[in-house]
Formats: sequence, structure tokens, C-alpha cells
Amino acid sequence: MPAEFIHILIALAVVAASVGALGLVMVWVERKVAGHIQRRPGPFEVGPNGLLQPFCDALKLVGKQLFMPNGADPILFWLAPVLSFLPVLVLFLPLPLGDGIMAQNMNLGLLLILAFSGLSVLALLLGGWASNNKYGLLGAARGVAQSVAYEIPLLLAVLAVSFQAGSLNLAEVVKGQGTWPWQWNIMTQPLAFLIYLVSALGETNRAPFDLPEAESELTAGFHTEYSGMGFGLFFLAEYANMAVVCAVATVLFLGGWHGPILPGPLWFVLKVSLLLLLMVFLRWTYPRVRFDQLLNINWKWLLPLAVANLLLTAFFVKFAQYVVVK
Amino acid sequence: MTRYIDTEQTAGDFYTHNFAKKAQEGTLILNLGPQHPSTHGVLRVVVEMDGEYVLRAEPILGYLHRMHEKMAEVKTAAQFIPNMGRVDYLHAMAWNWAFVGAVEKIAGIEVPERAEYVRVITCELNRISSHLLWWGAYLLDLGAFTPIMYAFDDREKLLDALQVPTGSRLTYSYFRIGGVAQDLNDDCLGRIRAFIPWLRSRMPMYKDLVTDNIILRKRIEDIGVIEPELCRRYGATGPVARGSGINYDVRRNEPYGIYSKFDFDIPTSELKCARGRYDVRMAEIEQSLRIIEQALEMMPEGDVLVKGAPKPSWKVPAGESYFAVEGARGKIGVYVVSDGGKNLYRTKLRAPGFCNLSLFGEVSRGTILADAVAILGSLDMVIPEIDR
Amino acid sequence: MDALLKGLKLDYLARGDFAKTGQAWVAFLPGASLVRASERLLKADYYIEDVCAVDCVEGYVVVYHFDHFEKPGRVTLKVIVPHAAPNVPSIAHLFDGAEWHERETRDFHGVQFIGNPNFVPLLIDPEMADCFPLRKEEKSRSSAGKIMAPGEVVFCDPAFTLFVADSPAEAAGEGAK
Repeated sequence: MPAEFIHILIALAVVAASVGALGLVMVWVERKVAGHIQRRPGPFEVGPNGLLQPFCDALKLVGKQLFMPNGADPILFWLAPVLSFLPVLVLFLPLPLGDGIMAQNMNLGLLLILAFSGLSVLALLLGGWASNNKYGLLGAARGVAQSVAYEIPLLLAVLAVSFQAGSLNLAEVVKGQGTWPWQWNIMTQPLAFLIYLVSALGETNRAPFDLPEAESELTAGFHTEYSGMGFGLFFLAEYANMAVVCAVATVLFLGGWHGPILPGPLWFVLKVSLLLLLMVFLRWTYPRVRFDQLLNINWKWLLPLAVANLLLTAFFVKFAQYVVVK
Repeated sequence: MTRYIDTEQTAGDFYTHNFAKKAQEGTLILNLGPQHPSTHGVLRVVVEMDGEYVLRAEPILGYLHRMHEKMAEVKTAAQFIPNMGRVDYLHAMAWNWAFVGAVEKIAGIEVPERAEYVRVITCELNRISSHLLWWGAYLLDLGAFTPIMYAFDDREKLLDALQVPTGSRLTYSYFRIGGVAQDLNDDCLGRIRAFIPWLRSRMPMYKDLVTDNIILRKRIEDIGVIEPELCRRYGATGPVARGSGINYDVRRNEPYGIYSKFDFDIPTSELKCARGRYDVRMAEIEQSLRIIEQALEMMPEGDVLVKGAPKPSWKVPAGESYFAVEGARGKIGVYVVSDGGKNLYRTKLRAPGFCNLSLFGEVSRGTILADAVAILGSLDMVIPEIDR
Repeated sequence: MDALLKGLKLDYLARGDFAKTGQAWVAFLPGASLVRASERLLKADYYIEDVCAVDCVEGYVVVYHFDHFEKPGRVTLKVIVPHAAPNVPSIAHLFDGAEWHERETRDFHGVQFIGNPNFVPLLIDPEMADCFPLRKEEKSRSSAGKIMAPGEVVFCDPAFTLFVADSPAEAAGEGAK
């Protein structure tokens, strides 16, 4: 099927380009928002309101010397940033921007996203391990424990929604919701939404759950030894991952492209942006949690709640079927 | 138990080797610093870790050692005052006062009354600026990036006020033997008067946003418990001792200057953990504001430097004296011995941070790395003061 | 204070003028009774302020400052050790904070504290740790009797002549009080 193959290739190219653009925009937004939260203007000098600052940053990162510490494993060391970035591209394929506007319509879209997002942990582990650096090692160990733990409630929360929608196809899930906010899944699954949001923060290593790179303890955690674009790719992957989890939250809980008056894709982008902004706000407001607290939140609260929520959903879905059939 | 010998583990300098001698098998020796985001300068801590747990920790000092005590022996007393601003750059006024006070004690110099008030006002303002900076930097240690910007915003107003009479913003050498260098003019007094209500209006916001935040509370409660007994054995003073429930403040227990004239409280906390030390420092800011308010009201007119104040070449009469003041980090003591010669015979600087940090090894034992960093921050170290 | 230090072999004990010298009590004692004296201070809830040394004609005067959290009044213990063999027993097993102070004194003056658990250089680079910057040359040393405040004598061992030999007038004045 060469046509199919070319289609995927083009889709990937488009996604790669938009992820790059997204990274640039997010860098600017994050710095600008951080600035305003901290009562300072943020980037201001390069371009109007510092709009060209991310380009300069990117140029600087590209131009920097790539440095590998003595005793590091060269293959794994350079594989890690690539491995962190590439799977993220795949994650964008099944996301529906509007009715019928998606790179690849697939039945198991949700499953694909969950499967490939698991790969980023591997990159983190490899990066920390191959650096031959103790901070990197500690950061990697934290990262693995954290990601593995937070994937489970995330999965359970997502599953509850797909039970309700009866499909793993993201477009189908959106179609099951309506135009107005009270027709969205967040009304029927508020608990799942909260669990998803917290787990997503943990999964993307964003503050207050940024323990693998906890600056004040581990200098930069797993990417301590990366310079130039090695660091840049980790950085880009983080923003891309953020965008993906926010987009999935929009699709599953916030009605995807649905919304009054404005066209669908605009609504979708708007909702994703709001969620991204929320994540940026959280980062610049809260202190970091401690590692054991982080795992306690997960194993003692999120996981049991997610399981209960899933069971409850399953019960109601079956009950509804029974009633309807009768 | 056999020692863990591995080429990677034994790499390192004398201190790493010395520390690794007692290491258990299968543990990780980690060097935090001298360049590390949470050591606030160039402190180095060698840590033996089992997973995330700290088994042993030993601070290694000396990266900022400048031998101030030797410099005191090659300069006249008046020439040594600028050094005092550089010992503790966050509370330079208190060090100024400690040294000047010790020399005045030997020589029996009486300071004019207005100068005493000026000393109190500037010293307390400096204490507030020190606590504000600590607050911001400590939260930075705990992963909150924003509060330090607010702290610096407030501190900026303070430094602007102090800049007027002192001419510098950080390393003040404002005190003179027998008074202070310059009177506070109307510009400075106006700035100070405006600053007091400003900071008072900000404190409730800091409490709501930061102190009452559940993540912060969970991070600093019940970690780094320091018993009063431990303070005694290590000689810890200041907010570290007061955070352990010891009601001890040099301003109250060994009053110097005119502190006995003011009405202020000594905040203490029975929590003994990092939270206790945090609370004490935040309460101290408010008490300092109270002192400044009273001092501004009671300040008389007059000279700020005693008539016939010592010239730079002045020789300190023979004798010894120990003068202690309450710095932002604890008891600052200066022990001066003079033989009547051109320079002082011996000057010993007792840095509170030095004693406070020395208990870190014992307190951090068995904690998680993140807690060890939180404990280190709660001791409020200023490395130049520790290394001198 | 004299009750606290009772039974220990002291050379000299004096009440200091706190307003003038910042010291409530001054005691000169031989190195042998230092540990027992600090043990009693520890039991009486004193805390350690600092340890330092002063290079004098008589030898290194190792100065220990103690203070109390409730009853203010600095207690100064002084031990004179000869230049040739500057050895003092360590009190780090009683006051753990003394470990660093003793190491610092070693860095500056080369005084050896016997029994310190981790007796390595503290502030000075180990590679040049034996430079002892605060040691004075022979001719620039002063006598401890001249520069240290004698205070109001409570007890003085007849063999202890620090404040007697140089200034008989002062000693007589003190005696008259």
C-alpha cells in the first residue's frame, strides 16, 4: 500500500514541523507567563515583546558543541534524546483537530498514544544511565519509578471514558459528546478528569512533579550531561508531550472540537491552549513535592480512586445497556 | 564489612577519600557541590547514599576562605571595618557592629545616642533584607521559582533606602569606631517610613500564597528535627535555636546598644523542624519592623559620630574583649585581643553559620536527599561567613 | 562558677568585668583538667561558642568560650600550651561543635587536639595545610599577661605567675580588692 505509506510520511512531516513550531511558541509562552507571574516582563528585547527570543534560543542550542562525558556509553547516550523525541511525533497522528481533520483515522488511536508515550520513560532511563553521572542515574531512577507509577491511574482514567464512549477511536469519543459544556464527558467523569490531570503532570515530569530533573537536588537530573541539541531534543519532547496530554484531555473530557459559533479546529486549539496555560501556571506557582510523597499520592490516592471510578463506570454502562435492551 | 573499592568510587580528592574510608559496601558517594544549585555559593557536601537515603553527610568547607583573621593582624582596627562587610554579605551591618563594638569595649568609647538609633535602624533593615533573601532562596531550593522574585522586589526598596547613607547596597562598611559614617537624611528616612507599611501589606499575601501551601507544609514539616540539646552541643544559635524552642536572642539576653529600650518579642517555635525555623524567621521580619518603627519615633537629634573619633591610624589600647550581637543567622561574636600596637594582636570571628552548619551532618543522617537539601536550606547558610 | 569547677585542678579563676571584656568568668587551667571542666559545663547546660588560639610569648593560649541560653554570662577557659609541643585534649566528644573549631585552630596555629575524631584540615587546602598563617614570629609576640584582662581573682595557684611577674603593681591592686 504505497499510497497509505506516503500518506503517513506526509502526516509525520507535517507533525514534525508543527511540533517544532509548537516548541517555539511554548518556549515563548512559558517564559512570558513566568515573567508576568514573577512581576517582570519576561523576554522583551528580541523582536516585538520578545517574540523572536525562541528562535535565538533555538539557534544557540543548535550552534552549541555537543559534548559527551568521559566514560559515557556513546551509542545509548546519543540514542536517548532521539528516542525521547521521535515517539512523540507518532502521538500526534490520531488526534482529531476537527470533524474529520486528523492525520490518521485509526480505531485504536487511544491505545497507540498510551503505548508510545510509554517509550519516553525508556529515553529518560537511557539518558540518565548512559551519562556516567550520579545525578543522571538518580534522576533516571526517579523518572522510571514515577512514570511507571503514574501511567496506571492515567490508563484507568482514560479507560473509564472509553468504556462510556464504547470506542478507542478518538474521533468517535468526540462525536459522542455535544456542543455545550454540559454535554461533555467532564460532566459524567469529573473524577476521571482530575485523576487524568494529576497523572498527566506526573507523566510529563512537569512541576510540581518534576523530580527527575529536580534542579535543587540533582542539578538537572537525567539530562545533566546533555548540551546543545541533545538537551534541546529533551526539551522539545517535554513540550510536545505536554501538548499531547492536553490534546487527549480535550478529546476525552472537554468535547474535542465541539463548541458554539466558532469553527471546530479553533475550539480544539483554544481548549488545548487553556490546559497548557494551566500547566504553565502550576509550574510557576507551586513548590516541588518530595519523592516519597509523589509516590504516596499515586499509590494511596490516585490508583484506588481510579479503580473505583472505572468499576463504577463499568457498572453504569452495563446497567444502561441492560435497561436499553429491555 | 569490606570496603567498597571501585575506580569510580575512589576517584576524587583528599576529602572524598577521607570520607569514603568509612563507607559501607554498595553505597553511592555523591559530591554535592562546590558548584550546586542548592548550596548557595561554594559549599560542598559529600554524601553517602543508599538509594535516595542519606546515610552520612559531611560538609567540606574552605572554598571561599579568605583568612579575614590574618587580615585583621596586618591592618589597623579602622582599616579592618570594610572586611566586616564582606564576611556575611547578607547581614553586613551586624558584623560591622560586632567588630566596632568589640573595639569600643576595649577603648571604652561611648557612642552618641543618635548613632545608637541609626545603628539599630540600619541593622534591623539589613536583617529584614537577609531574611527576605533567605525566604526566596529557600523556596527556590524547594522548587518554587516565583517567591524569590517577590522577595527581591521588596528587598530592592530596602537596599535603595540603605544605599542613601551607606553608599553601597550589599557589603556595607557603614559603622565607625564611635558611631556611624553618616546621618540618615530625609530621603532615606522617607524611604524607610514608606517601606514599613509596604512590607506589612505584603506579609499576609506571602502567608496565604506560600506559607499555607500544602505542598510546602508537607515538605518542611517534621524534617530536620533539632533538639535543644543538639543546639547546645553544636553551639547553634539564632533562628535555628529559636526554631527548637530555645528562647535565646542576644538582643534580649545580653542587650547591647539600646535594644533594652524597645518593646519587641522573641519569636520561638516548639516544632523543632524546618517549619519551626521558617516560622521564626517570618515572625522576626515583623518584629524587626516593630523595632524600626519605635526607633524612628524615639530617635533624638544630635551627632552620629563621637567627638574626636579615632583616626585610621589610631592604636587600640591593650586588652581583650568579646562582643556579641544578634545577626540574621545567630550570634555573631568578635573576640579582640590588642597589645596596644599599631594593629590588633588577634581577632577571632565567631560566625553563627559555621556552628549552625556543623550540625548538618548529624541532622541529615537517614533522611531522603530532598529532605537533606531542605534541611540545609533551613539552616540559612552564607558561605563567606562560614569560611571567613 | 567556683562551685561548678570545684575539685578540678585550676591554675587561675577570676570574675571578669562583663561590660568591659564581655567575659563573666575566666579560668586558666592545665590541659589535663580541660575535658572534665567542659564535661561539667555541658552538664550545666552551657553551649560552646567558639575555640581559638592566641600566639603569645608563653605559648599558644587556646581559648574556649562557653555561654548559657538562660543565664547570660560568658565563661572563658584558657589553656596555655608550649610552642614546642602544642597538644591539647579534644572536647569534640562532649561538644560536637568543637570538632570544627578545633580543626580550624589547627589550620591557623597548628595546635594539635588529641582525640578529635576527624582531625583533617577544615578551611585550608590539605595540600598546603601546614602553613599555619596565624603563628607569629618570635619578636612580634606579646606576653599573655599584658594583653589579657586579669579580672577579679577568685583563686590563683601559687605556681601560676602569668599576671604576677610582669606587673606587680596590678597584682597588688587586685589583691587589695
